[in-house]
Amino acid sequence: MADSHATAHQPPDDLAHAGASARVKTYINVAVALAILTAIEVASLYTPGIPNALLVTALLVMSVLKFFLVVGYFMHLKEDSNIMRALFVGPLIIAILIILALMALFSAYILLPHTVL
Amino acid sequence: MADHALAIHAVHDPNLGNTGLDNRKVGMWIFLGSDCMFFGSLIGTYLSYKGKSLGGPGPHDVFNIPLTSYSAALLLASSLFMVLALARLHERRIKAAAFWLFATAVFGLHFVLNQVYEFTTFALHEGLTLSTNLFGSSFFVLTGFHGAHVTGGVIWLTILMVLALRGRLDERDYTKVEIAGLYWHFVDIVWIAIFTIVYLIP
Repeated sequence: MADSHATAHQPPDDLAHAGASARVKTYINVAVALAILTAIEVASLYTPGIPNALLVTALLVMSVLKFFLVVGYFMHLKEDSNIMRALFVGPLIIAILIILALMALFSAYILLPHTVL
Repeated sequence: MADHALAIHAVHDPNLGNTGLDNRKVGMWIFLGSDCMFFGSLIGTYLSYKGKSLGGPGPHDVFNIPLTSYSAALLLASSLFMVLALARLHERRIKAAAFWLFATAVFGLHFVLNQVYEFTTFALHEGLTLSTNLFGSSFFVLTGFHGAHVTGGVIWLTILMVLALRGRLDERDYTKVEIAGLYWHFVDIVWIAIFTIVYLIP
């Protein structure tokens, strides 16, 4: 029974063939990139003179980059099947649409100064 | 006869569906997709109420950005530890995998304790509670649900670590640990969004 268990639950082939050290190196590189992006995000908040629209856009772009680094490399969605990708990306698009719809309903535009509202 | 039975069992793995994918992993991705919409609704509500509170305190009266940045770094580091645990399990280094699971859980617990400190500071020193104003209610509901997710993840990882230390988790349980990892990374990406949208955007 133990043997059948082993056969049924072997790690995915693509991971099995990849070198363990290469995989760990990729993970560390991604973690370093995440740390750098987070540091830039926080530093930009304390940097005077950045226009509000530019700051908000830059923060959102860096956040999206971090999001896809974690999803693509740590969650292995980059190399996973299309079904898994669709199961996650579909609801993610709906979630973004929910956010935009709520913001439109309540006239909440984060890229614009409050005086425009 | 026994070999034949084993071969049939291996071919008809109850966890493999018609798509050839592991049902448990598919189930976790479906759950994460639904959780995306759940947090999308909470983030949308927070943004809709932003700047519309009739009275204070507001976000920039209470936020402690250095502490929250530290918490963000904790969760990002714990995500790295999680993939290292999975890599060690794949290499059949069970004790090392248990160590990285432990490190992930400890960093997650540290994050939760930081959040408890933040919430109590807001309530006791800044006078901000769930019922103070629109900012208070939308902020505490959003970050509170995220904190509850992290707490659930810490419990899950601790159980996996104990199983590994007791010899009841090995490389054959790769998918079980991978699913826990998917959940943990999801908690991390939700924080990436909350950190930027709630704390950093002016």
